[in-house]
Amino acid sequence: MSDVAAVVREETPFHRFVHEFAESKLAVAGFVVVAIIAFLAVFASVIAPQNPYDLAQLDIMDGRLPPGSVSADGLTFWLGTDDQGRDMLSGILYGLRISLTVGAGSAIIAGIIGSALGLTAAYVGGKIETGIMRLVDLQLSFPAILVALMILAFLGKGVLNVTLALVIVEWARYARTARGAALVERRREYIEAAECLALPRWRVLFRHLLPNCMPPLIVIGTIQIARAITLEATLSFLGLGVPITEPSLGLLIANGYQYMLSGKYWISFYPGIALLVTIVAINLVGDQLRDVLNPRLRR
Amino acid sequence: MIFDLRAAGCAASVLASVLASLTGAPAMAQTLSLAVSAPVTSIDPHYHTLSPNQSLDAQIFDPLVDMDATAHPVPALAESWKLVDSQTWEFHLRTTNFHNGAPFTAEDVAFTLDRVPRVLNSPGSFSIYTKAVTGVEIVDPHTIRLRTSGVYPLLPIDLTQVSMLSRSIGANPLTEDFNSGKNAIGTGPFKFVAYKPGDRIELDRNDAYWGAKPAWEHVNYRIISNDAARTSALLAGDVSLIDAVPTSDYVKLSKEPKVTLAQIVGLRLIFLWLDHQRDVSPFVEGPNGEKLDHNPLKDLRVRQALSFAINRPAIVSQVMEDSAIPSGQFLPKGSYSYVPDLAAPPYDPARARKLLAEAGYPKGFRITLHGSNDRYVNDAKIIQAVGQMWTRIGVQTKVEALPWASYVGHASKLEYSAFQFGWGTSTGEASNPLRALTATYDAAKGLGTVNRGRYSNPALDQLIDKALVTADDGARETLLQQATRMAMDDVAIIPLHQQKNIWAMRKGLSYTARADEQTRAIDIRPVK
Repeated sequence: MSDVAAVVREETPFHRFVHEFAESKLAVAGFVVVAIIAFLAVFASVIAPQNPYDLAQLDIMDGRLPPGSVSADGLTFWLGTDDQGRDMLSGILYGLRISLTVGAGSAIIAGIIGSALGLTAAYVGGKIETGIMRLVDLQLSFPAILVALMILAFLGKGVLNVTLALVIVEWARYARTARGAALVERRREYIEAAECLALPRWRVLFRHLLPNCMPPLIVIGTIQIARAITLEATLSFLGLGVPITEPSLGLLIANGYQYMLSGKYWISFYPGIALLVTIVAINLVGDQLRDVLNPRLRR
Repeated sequence: MIFDLRAAGCAASVLASVLASLTGAPAMAQTLSLAVSAPVTSIDPHYHTLSPNQSLDAQIFDPLVDMDATAHPVPALAESWKLVDSQTWEFHLRTTNFHNGAPFTAEDVAFTLDRVPRVLNSPGSFSIYTKAVTGVEIVDPHTIRLRTSGVYPLLPIDLTQVSMLSRSIGANPLTEDFNSGKNAIGTGPFKFVAYKPGDRIELDRNDAYWGAKPAWEHVNYRIISNDAARTSALLAGDVSLIDAVPTSDYVKLSKEPKVTLAQIVGLRLIFLWLDHQRDVSPFVEGPNGEKLDHNPLKDLRVRQALSFAINRPAIVSQVMEDSAIPSGQFLPKGSYSYVPDLAAPPYDPARARKLLAEAGYPKGFRITLHGSNDRYVNDAKIIQAVGQMWTRIGVQTKVEALPWASYVGHASKLEYSAFQFGWGTSTGEASNPLRALTATYDAAKGLGTVNRGRYSNPALDQLIDKALVTADDGARETLLQQATRMAMDDVAIIPLHQQKNIWAMRKGLSYTARADEQTRAIDIRPVK
C-alpha cells in the first residue's frame, strides 16, 4: 500500500528509505563510522604496520611500551604495545576484523535459520509451530552468556566455534520476531490470493510472506550484530573465545586488564574504545532503521 | 531480646576500649587481617595435599618436624630425631598441650599416622608422606620409634607435611567436623574460631603455645582470589598483609611509601614437558604441515635447541616483571641438593638453529605448545613468549592456553606434545622432583607418578634408587646433584624459571618470607 504512495510521489521505496534515514544526522554519522570500521577491518592486513598474529614478528622485549614508542627495528607503536610486544594499533585492526566477522557472520546465519523456522511455524501452524516455539521459549529462558559458555566448554575454542555458539544462542530471537510478523501477514488478502492460485507452499512462504516480514527482521538483525560482537568480546575476555595468539577486541582488553592498576592503561583502553565506538555506531544505525522501517511511525 | 544483646555488646565494647586506653595497648593492634589468594578446600589437615590448605594448617596445627623459611627441616613437636638402626627413626617429643588442654604424647602421633591414610573422599591423600612407615613403637609418652621397610632417609622430611592431631577428638574423625570447628584442635600458635568457606577463617591466639608468642590476639585469615581486589584491599587498609602479589603490581607496590614487601625465591619451578615417549607425537608436524613419521622431540639435539632458543632473562624481566629468576634445575640456590654450577641454559638462537640442522631439521618443524591460563603466575603469557622464541629459530609454534580444569585432564592423559607445568618441591630437596617427574613411570613403585613427558632413562633411575637408600646426608646430596645434572643435561624437562614468593604489607609490619609459599600469621610481627 505504501508502494502506491511512493509511485504517486515518483520516488522509489529505496530513495524514500534513504531520505528518511538521512533525517537523523546521528544515524548518518553512525553509518559513516560503521563503514569506516568495516573498511579498516577488511583491509587490516594492508593498513596494519605489523601482523599481530605472526609470532615471529613480535618481540617480547617490546612489551608494554607506551603509545608513541619506537621499537628496535624502527617501527613506531602509535597506540603502544601489549605484554607480548604486539603493536596495539595492528592488534585492534585485526581484532576488529575478527569481531565484525564473528558478529556479522553469526547474526546472518542465525537470522536465516531463525527466520526460516519462525516463518514456517507461523505459516504451517499446528504441532510444528508448537514444537518450534517451545524450543524458542526454552532457548530464551537461559541467559545467552551461560549457553555460549557451555557450548564453548564442550566444543573448545576457535573462531568457528564461537560463531557456532553465537548462532545457537541467537537464532531464537529471529524465530520469535519472524513468527510474530508472519502471523499478522498470513491473514492478509495477498497470501489468500497466492494460495488460491495454488502456488506451492514454499513459494508462498519465501516469495510472498518473507519479503513482507523483512522490516522487523532487518531491525533485529542490526541489533543482534552489535549483541553478537559484545558477546564474542565477553567470551574472549573470559578466555573462552579466540586463541590467545589471535586476539579479538575482547581478548585484547582482557590482556591489559591486569595492568590497569599499574598505570599501563593503553593495553585495555584503546581496544575498549574501539569496541565501544563500533557498538554505539551499529546501534545508532539500528535505532534509525527501526524508526524508518516501522509502519506505525510512518508519516 | 535482640535489643538487649546489642546493648550488652555496646557496653562490652565501650568497656573494652576504656580498658585498652587504660592499659595503653591499642585494641586494634591486636587484630591482624590478612588476605591470601587461594581458597582452602577444608580445615581438615589430612584431607587434601594442596598448598593453600597446608598454609592454613600451619596456623592451627604442628607437624613433628617443621620447615624453616628456606625449606630446611627444624624441630617442631619433635625436639630431636635420630636413626637408631638403619630402618628405625626415633623421635623425642616436646611437652605441650593441645588447644583443648589434652597433653601431646606419643599416642597422638600413632593416632595421627593411623588416621592419615583413612580420610574419606580425600582428593589428594597425605598417605604419600606416611606410607614409608611400616611400624610404630611407643617407647614412652615422649619417645616414639617409626620403622620403615628398607633405609628411608627422607622420613623426617616427609613428616614435615603431616599435622599432628589429638586422639582426644575420638576415633575416625570426620572431615566435616573439622570444618565446623569441633575437630579443629591442634597444638599450633592459633586456635580455630570460625570458617566461612571461600571468605575467611577466624583465629584466636593460643596463649599456651610452645614457641614464640604470636603478636596477634585475633587473626582474620581472609581469601581474596582476585588479584586487583587483593592489592586494593591492602592499599585501602582493609587488610594488613597480602600474599601472591601480582607481578603487574609488584613495581607499583615497591614504590608505595605505605607498603613494604617481603620476598624469597620460591620452591616452584615453571618448566615445559616434551613428549619423550611416542614415535609420532600428536601436535608435531613437518615445516609445511605434513605428517612426520617420527618424533623430533626424542632427539636430544632438538630438545637442546628448544631450550637454547628460550631467552629466559627476557621472560623474567618482561613477562614476570622481575618477580622470578631464570633456572636450570629443580631448586633455588641455598636448598639441599642444589647444584652450584648448573646455571640456566644460555640464550643462544644461533646454536639452537645449528643443532636443529644437525638433527635433520634445517627448516624446523611445526608444534603446538599447550598450557593453562589460570594456574601459574602469567602462565598463558609465558607460553606465548616461548612460542615467539621457538618460531624465531624455525620451529613454527602455535600456542594454546586452556583453563586449568580442562587442561590438566588432557595433559594427564598425555594428549600433548609440548606443554607447560609447574612443580612446587614442598620437601625442599631434589629427590622429590626426581622421583615424581623424571623417574621412569611406574605407578606400582610410586615412581614417575607425574612424569607426563614419560621421560625414561635407566641410568637416572639407578641413581635415584641409590640416593633414596643412602642415609648419609652428604653422600645423598652428591647423588641427588649427579641425578639432577643428568636429567638436565638430557633435557628431560625444559626448566624456565623459579617464581619469587612475594608478600606485601603495611609499613610497620615485617614478615619472614617463606620459600614454601605459606603465609604464617605468627611470622608477621610489628617492627620494633
